[in-house]
Amino acid sequence: MLLAASYAGVAASVWWLSGYVPWFLLPDVPFLAIVYAGLFLGGPAGFLAAIPPAVFREVTVSAPSWTFFLSSMALFFVSREIALRLFVRAEYYILTVVVGLLLTESLSIVILMLLSGSRPFSLLWGAEEAVRIAWTGLLAVPLYMDLSSRWLRVKE
Amino acid sequence: MGSFIRKWWRLLAAIVLISGAVHFFVRPPAALSRADAVHASGSLLFRPVYATLDRIHEGVSSFWYRYIALVGVSRENDRLRREVAALREKLQENREALLENRRLKGLLRFSETAEKKTIGARVVGREISPWFQTVFIDAGADSGVEAGMAVVTPAGGIGRVHKTYRGLAEVLLVTDGRFAADVIVERSRVRAIAEGMGGTLCRLKYVSPTQDVVAGDRILFSGFDGSMPKGVLLGTVVSAERPREGLFQKIQVQCAANLLAAEEVLVVLSRPSIPFRPGKS
Repeated sequence: MLLAASYAGVAASVWWLSGYVPWFLLPDVPFLAIVYAGLFLGGPAGFLAAIPPAVFREVTVSAPSWTFFLSSMALFFVSREIALRLFVRAEYYILTVVVGLLLTESLSIVILMLLSGSRPFSLLWGAEEAVRIAWTGLLAVPLYMDLSSRWLRVKE
Repeated sequence: MGSFIRKWWRLLAAIVLISGAVHFFVRPPAALSRADAVHASGSLLFRPVYATLDRIHEGVSSFWYRYIALVGVSRENDRLRREVAALREKLQENREALLENRRLKGLLRFSETAEKKTIGARVVGREISPWFQTVFIDAGADSGVEAGMAVVTPAGGIGRVHKTYRGLAEVLLVTDGRFAADVIVERSRVRAIAEGMGGTLCRLKYVSPTQDVVAGDRILFSGFDGSMPKGVLLGTVVSAERPREGLFQKIQVQCAANLLAAEEVLVVLSRPSIPFRPGKS
């Protein structure tokens, strides 16, 4: 389910919608898939489930080679740690975790780019990035509810 | 110590992975960039998607232009015939001017600029991450496309090939923060370095306050750095401020080519005259 969602999300966003919809309205679906793999799937299954979305991000983001794959796998381990130490099964918790992780990732990359000398950021960009983070965070809640109900049906 | 590691191994793994990512971001190892089997196979995974979408898009456009848009074509035909007759006369006059121009060039010992070999490509995807600005085109390493080659449209420069795969290449747009190229102001011949600043804008760096650059000036690639073809339009100056303090002017350039709407582009197949180092690829 996570693999299919992340593949479909990347395929629709990068190869189809990106020509018509502004980037800040396209949610980062592989990011959500990695976070959910960390939050809900433990052990080797979660680790394996996180690899394909990490590869999709690596291929479609033009960062230096392997940086997005490694940081996505780090995201999986951080999500797993959050799931084990601070886990609360509630919508507001999912929203907080996703927004917090997206914000951390974005700020880290901005700082790295500023330190390396490129400055393609502006106030408008900041506002658009805030919309993207909020939109991805909001999408995370119904996705969580859908996954939870599917999981319950499987258990029954 | 053992229990600490057992308790916190996930966080430690995350820290190690993030350190590796930061290291690769700052100093990308050339060996890893060359051995890109995972990237190549990853890009192949999406090939059916973008190839299918491209075919659908082409089919819809073709249907529209061949059938729907033909309404009223006979009236347009008559008008165009009259225009063609007028243009033929103009062309004859221009041919005379061209021949005269050629004679004068020969007289001044100007050499004709060698026509550069190009290949057409369609834009099949765009990056959606907020930090970088790239597009994907459907011509890759198998078509002779290599990293560093310039990508242009008749309206102006689009960017530079960043990574190539089989049947696919990633193009770094001129507005990406990592793009930089040597440019020249068409009117005053002032040289500068153009750098992407996101959106549809670039900035010009290292222009002294005494140099003559004003809003409305056209900016062309100079070709001196060997990365972009000489004379290709980058854009138009939208603001040039002379700060009271500081060594250089603050100049913003609006790109001439509509980077978000570009559907077809040309890749200049000649290799950069200065060897291109992929750097952060």
